[in-house]
Amino acid sequence: MKKNLFLPFIGLFILAICAFYYFNQAPSQKLEAKQVPAVLFESKDFYMNELIDTQNLGDFYIINFFASWCKPCLAEHPLLMELQSKGIKIIGVNFRDDEDNFIDWIEENGNPFEYIIRDDGSIAYEMGLIGVPETYFINNKIIQKKIQGPLFYEDIETYL
Amino acid sequence: MIFYTGWSKKIFTSDRAFLNLIYVISASPFLVLVIGFAISDYTVLNIFQNSYIDDPIFYKVTSAWGSHEGSILLWIFLINIYGIFFLKTNNNKEIHKQIIFISSLFILYLLISSNPFQKIELDTTLEGLGLNPILQHLLFIIHPPTLFLGYIGLIIPFVLASHILISKNFSEDLFNQMLFWSKLSWFFLTFGIVLGSYWAYSELGWGGWWFWDPVENISLIPWLLNTALIHSLQVSIKSNQLKLWSLNLALYSFIAAVFGTFLVRSNLIVSVHSFATDPLRGLFLIMIIAYLFIVTLRLNIKSVNYFNQDTFKIMSKETFLLLNNIFFIAAALTVLVGTIYPLFSEIIYNSSVSIGAPYYNFAFNLLMAPIILLMAFAPQIKWGEHKRKNNQTFYIIAISIAITAIVFYLQENIFFALSVFITIPLFIKSFLVFFKKISKDEGFFAQWLAHLSIGLFIVAAVYTEQFDYEKNITFEKGDSSEIVFDEGTSLLLENIKDSDLSNHQKISVDLIVVEKNSKYSLSPSKNIYQPSGQVTNEVSTANRYLDQYYATISMIESDKVSINLVYKPFINLLWISSILLVFSIFLSIIKRK
Amino acid sequence: MKILKHTSNFLLVIFLLSLFSIGYSNENKLNDYFKTIRCLVCEGQSIHESDTEFAINLKEQIKIKTNSGMSIKEINQELVEIYGEQISFNPSKNHFLLWVMPLILVLVIFIFIRNKLKFFYKK
Repeated sequence: MKKNLFLPFIGLFILAICAFYYFNQAPSQKLEAKQVPAVLFESKDFYMNELIDTQNLGDFYIINFFASWCKPCLAEHPLLMELQSKGIKIIGVNFRDDEDNFIDWIEENGNPFEYIIRDDGSIAYEMGLIGVPETYFINNKIIQKKIQGPLFYEDIETYL
Repeated sequence: MIFYTGWSKKIFTSDRAFLNLIYVISASPFLVLVIGFAISDYTVLNIFQNSYIDDPIFYKVTSAWGSHEGSILLWIFLINIYGIFFLKTNNNKEIHKQIIFISSLFILYLLISSNPFQKIELDTTLEGLGLNPILQHLLFIIHPPTLFLGYIGLIIPFVLASHILISKNFSEDLFNQMLFWSKLSWFFLTFGIVLGSYWAYSELGWGGWWFWDPVENISLIPWLLNTALIHSLQVSIKSNQLKLWSLNLALYSFIAAVFGTFLVRSNLIVSVHSFATDPLRGLFLIMIIAYLFIVTLRLNIKSVNYFNQDTFKIMSKETFLLLNNIFFIAAALTVLVGTIYPLFSEIIYNSSVSIGAPYYNFAFNLLMAPIILLMAFAPQIKWGEHKRKNNQTFYIIAISIAITAIVFYLQENIFFALSVFITIPLFIKSFLVFFKKISKDEGFFAQWLAHLSIGLFIVAAVYTEQFDYEKNITFEKGDSSEIVFDEGTSLLLENIKDSDLSNHQKISVDLIVVEKNSKYSLSPSKNIYQPSGQVTNEVSTANRYLDQYYATISMIESDKVSINLVYKPFINLLWISSILLVFSIFLSIIKRK
Repeated sequence: MKILKHTSNFLLVIFLLSLFSIGYSNENKLNDYFKTIRCLVCEGQSIHESDTEFAINLKEQIKIKTNSGMSIKEINQELVEIYGEQISFNPSKNHFLLWVMPLILVLVIFIFIRNKLKFFYKK
């Protein structure tokens, strides 16, 4: 075993390089070219009690899932307010929440949403939600981008 | 001074004492860490992160191997402990050099990528961050060390095999030593896997005992290879054949064990038992594995000409043991492929796949079924050539088919019927040969018991999985009526208790399962641990002969509580047969000495 | 020719056993189906074993769908469409190589032994 350690070490070296490249790769995110499910447009807005007006929405809008029990949602809230102030339409989907808590939460933190839909989980299921908060950027009825977890300034920079 | 030189001379003139000294020195850092944990020395980062000042001393000490660094240190400690014991039976310097070399590779790994004694500044809170509460369990104290003893036990067959291949000394004595050490490792592996399985069953609260989780798979691969090794070593010793085959199995078993550790520690594969990750760790462990692998390949290339004359008749014990090997190795490779397939799929096809129970239930059981059938007849086949023919086999299969048909008619479950079909021949045959052989053959009883307990295990496992019954039951506040669980069985809420213990708050629910003639009390609880605030579910079980009621709290609110109650038939038979299996291998080890 | 006979008997047994195994399905029990769905926010657990909001919601939705008459097969198809293949612990039969792997392995090892060890030694 001692005689020729050279060969093993060449192998080791090659493997080491391969392994290094592998470990350095950032996990790639697949783009979802999916349509917005129809369930969303069949449900009624919480405050106005009407269906969502697709004419008013326009081509580009954002869908944001949130809940009053979710702490990271609070963190991204100011960014949503900023988006709204720039005239971007956001549909808020309140995911599996207590009604009173939800009303209090909106009153306390402000309402950045054009429409708010309360969801018992079926919309989340159709959208493929993994957890709140989760944000979808929609263009021409197709999901362009999906961000899991709270939004950061870098995520929405281009839209401001 | 004179005393000193005299002493050192004594040490260095004796190889044995010198080797012992090296082993003791390499093993000692782990003991230092254990002491550090015991006295809660929070100036060390590792201890600070993994222990909590109010934990009982028992858990403080066991936190030593709860972390990544600690467990690698334990790994090194055990390699050296094995070295010390191996020195008692074999003091060949060349072999010990290899053990020390491998041990030092791991020490190097620890020094470079994960120093367990890293110091921190004192100005942080001095309470410690606490061990993951899910690990605060009596079984967890013995599970990892036992499993590690099993993994590392494979190092002795590894170094012995490579020594045999280098020195070309194929004496029976060396093979016998290999058999002893691989049996010892097999004993610890089996025991460790059973403990881990029981821990998952009784602590995780999911009602399952095997999840085909990557970490479980990884422990199963060396177990399967080691099982194959033990069987092929019999051929090597008794009939002087399949020697290269056995040696290779020994080499690959240890590689599989190290590879498993690599997969878990580097977090390449997501699992319940995740540890913090660091690319450097994975890189270094990959280098260790590559080194072992290349050594193995080189040894093979050099010695391949020495054995290719293995010849034996088709109706012989050798053939059947080889068949056992084929299936066990195929099973090990299947589990390996299933475990790393998602990785390849991610890299090559850029799509993520999850491989879990449905796949393994198909693939693994497919490979195990023929083995179990063979297990009934193979032990009675003669070495060399089996000439006597009789119709017994035919009758046994016929009886088995008849019983299977009856079982299928009664239970209407194809899987249980199949498991009956493959195990009945084993039971019949075991019964028939027991009285004939028990007085004649020394090692017979251990082997008989091992095979029989595997048969029992399969019946129990399939029965539990196929006929368990689960129901979620919700009680409103002040609800004192019984709620129906199953036909003739109902559940009654007694009271809800809230108590404070040293490091956690405990909310327990007292329940009574009411049957026609008997009552079983259960008290599952939820524990809220300090300082992390993590909540764990404590399972409560009640035995009903071989069956068990298994209760957990699925949700607790101010006005209602829901209980998840599972009826697990035959689950106790499963644990009993596992313990019998461990016991049988223990018997076969002490018989040899 | 005895070798061929033994080999074919042997393969027949495997074939029969594989037929039984392929029929494996748990459609009779919803809980068993939950055990085959991966909880995407957990680490390697199924939704049956998880109390996360994701798992609870998925379980509820699947229950609603089965009550409205959807079969488990249809639900599974829908889930894979929505969440991707990783949602199911039961990889699709498209991964052909994966599913025939056990048989391939047995055959490969078998052939390897025949060539290397010449153990079916006649005469």
